[in-house]
Amino acid sequence: MSEIRATLVDFVKVLRASEIKVSPAETLDAMETMQLIGLKDREFLKTSLSMVLSKTPEEKDAFGNCFDNFFKFEKPKNDHEPGAAPPDQQDYSSENKQEQTDRKGGGSGEASGSSEEDSEEIDEETTLTPNSELGKLLLLGSRAELMVKIIEAGRKVEVKQIVVFTQKGLYTRKIMDDMGLKGLQDEVKELKNLKGKPETNLARKLEKGKEALREQVRDYVEKQFLLHADETGKELREELLKKVKLSNLEKRNFKDVQEIVVKMAKKLVAIHSKRRKVFKRGQLDVRKTLRSNMQFNGILFNLKWKSKKVDRPKVICICDVSGSVSNYSRFLLMFLYSLAEILPKVRSFAFSSDLGEVTTLFEKNNLEDAMAKTMRDYGNGSTDYGQMLEDFRSSILKDVNSRTTIIILGDARNNYGDPKSEILREMYDKAQRIIWLNPETRSSWSAGDSEMSKYSPACHQAEVCNSLVHLERVVANLLRYAR
Amino acid sequence: MGIKNEDRLKDIDTIKSRFESLNYICSREIATAVYLAYHLEKPVLIEGPPGVGKTELAKTTAKMLDLSCIRLQCYEGLDESKAIYEWKYGKQLLYTQVLKETLGEVLQGAKGLTESVKKLQSFGDIFFSEEFLEPRPLLKALKEKESCVLLIDEVDKSDHEFESLLLEILSDFQLSIPEIGTVAARKDKKPIVFLTSNNTREISDALKRRCLHLYIPFPEAELERQIVEARVPDISKQLNKQLVAFIQELREMDLKKVPAISETIDWAKTLILLHSESLDTELVRETLNVILKFQEDVETVSAELSAITGRAIKDK
Repeated sequence: MSEIRATLVDFVKVLRASEIKVSPAETLDAMETMQLIGLKDREFLKTSLSMVLSKTPEEKDAFGNCFDNFFKFEKPKNDHEPGAAPPDQQDYSSENKQEQTDRKGGGSGEASGSSEEDSEEIDEETTLTPNSELGKLLLLGSRAELMVKIIEAGRKVEVKQIVVFTQKGLYTRKIMDDMGLKGLQDEVKELKNLKGKPETNLARKLEKGKEALREQVRDYVEKQFLLHADETGKELREELLKKVKLSNLEKRNFKDVQEIVVKMAKKLVAIHSKRRKVFKRGQLDVRKTLRSNMQFNGILFNLKWKSKKVDRPKVICICDVSGSVSNYSRFLLMFLYSLAEILPKVRSFAFSSDLGEVTTLFEKNNLEDAMAKTMRDYGNGSTDYGQMLEDFRSSILKDVNSRTTIIILGDARNNYGDPKSEILREMYDKAQRIIWLNPETRSSWSAGDSEMSKYSPACHQAEVCNSLVHLERVVANLLRYAR
Repeated sequence: MGIKNEDRLKDIDTIKSRFESLNYICSREIATAVYLAYHLEKPVLIEGPPGVGKTELAKTTAKMLDLSCIRLQCYEGLDESKAIYEWKYGKQLLYTQVLKETLGEVLQGAKGLTESVKKLQSFGDIFFSEEFLEPRPLLKALKEKESCVLLIDEVDKSDHEFESLLLEILSDFQLSIPEIGTVAARKDKKPIVFLTSNNTREISDALKRRCLHLYIPFPEAELERQIVEARVPDISKQLNKQLVAFIQELREMDLKKVPAISETIDWAKTLILLHSESLDTELVRETLNVILKFQEDVETVSAELSAITGRAIKDK
């Protein structure tokens, strides 16, 4: 039973690696379920475990894949031992699960005994049966026994720890060593030295077996790599992508980044979706109190206090889409749209000189198309912040009120035109917050044609923002201040 | 409950066939969930699109096991006085009024305030005993003598705070009432708990962790045919087939609200009422408002109506 438990714990680890959140309590539940269900009916076990361990439709999908991969036992492809193979193969295909338990049960006892003897036992006899443990196993043992040995050895050398694919060779070697490769090699050498015909024959057979074994072990390691390391590698990559400058992202990474953005947004949604009530302690709500105490004949048992629900922020987002910053605005817009659940009122505008609303464009199209269309309509022309602010005042400023947050994303490089920062000041007075996100580092804010020094006094917050981590921080702040 | 229900929930196939005899056709997953819920004594959180029979599952389970079904419908603003218990203030008030006179007699012979208070205290908390407790669904479910099925419907509609309130009953089958103490369900008479959610918001991890999670998707064509047959026994085989094929295709389309099983059944009933034996374009056009609930959707489908109907009729 403890073997099964260990397997289950491994399985849970694999699940966690593929982003299924499994708590220790759920692992315990899974054990209980396994005890109740038994291991005979594979499908039954799968559905049962999926109910205990995976708790959203997405997780259920991932669970299905993990289960199939983890508890997969392929038929060995090439069998060169005629005697033992056929019945075993049948077992493999028909009753995978059963097979596994049997092997688990038998495996633990054997392994501890055999591996110790392996290295000490160097054979001198020259009979036709091989003498080293591994040799015997290769020529006389069944496929199943061999597989058990491989798994045992794998567990001992902790193949789970594999991280990058270059380690595959190393672990293959380690597993084979653990299985008693040395004993086998010594035996082959011995046999070759003796030069008798039956001996050379046997030696050849053993060598062949060894090659087959190597292949099998490699297969096994490969599978373990896919299970354990692939996802860890992905995590590493994601961490890296989060920190990399958005302008340095290559096109092939866009898809990954999009995934990350969605994930980040989900996290923020989970944290902030709860609408807080702010209680004004001390102010009695007379109407509510009277109403709720009517049932007690007007005697005031329950006092009700005034409270108000905090409104979600209304966000207006203005993005510079001229060549230099379009990469950043792309991700900001993506982020904001992924937050639709908690930010129901996002309006977005794009400009390089004239301001245009792209809200519906982004709602209706997928990101790629929307971005392309935005670039087509607004992307050309030189940047003119003055004109943008002018446009904003004439058409949108009337919608701005004390609950509006305005996010402006741009490098504030105005080609030496009139910055018209007085309009920004006007916006500052009307809006709840104005946040300016600048992809350039602070040191270059006042250099050249950058007007940041004029704009930043009229913002509540001016931030450097050039990676996903920055973006996440800004949006999280935005949500927090909205309280 | 005892042996009888143990028997009814012996294995998956038994559960399935028992459900079937009650006209509830279910997939293996659903039967598995019920099996696990009973044997592991864990609540089941059922999610899925509206109209796939989430609430029905709980009701049918109750019927199958001959247990009463206690239902708590969740809504915004639901609180403990509606869900767990309430003190009968009126009764308490009335009793104090009535007992005012008796009080004098009781306190006769007591000298001074201290003695009177002491004498009063020896009576205990009469007014906060079970006599004055009005049990609401959750408490009722725990106190039920013969176990029961507790259905907490549409948890996602309630507030976050209410979810936390549920945690105690879900993990330990007990409730704490400050004035009385802890009320726990009898052992081996624990209620079978179903929670349903329409996914209008994310349910908290704490709640999910304590439940088995069952996702009921729209059924496959084969299963849906069986469901229609069970619910609308008058329907001809041919019509059933066409109808289900049509609905299945609609679900693939980009609609505001895709038709659920309940709509399929309604539609089947409508068609029977109109004495139709098979689908045709005109008939579908006239009855489309039974399965589609938005004008926008009706328009989308109308455009391709004849094509879809044609495919549904041809589909064998």
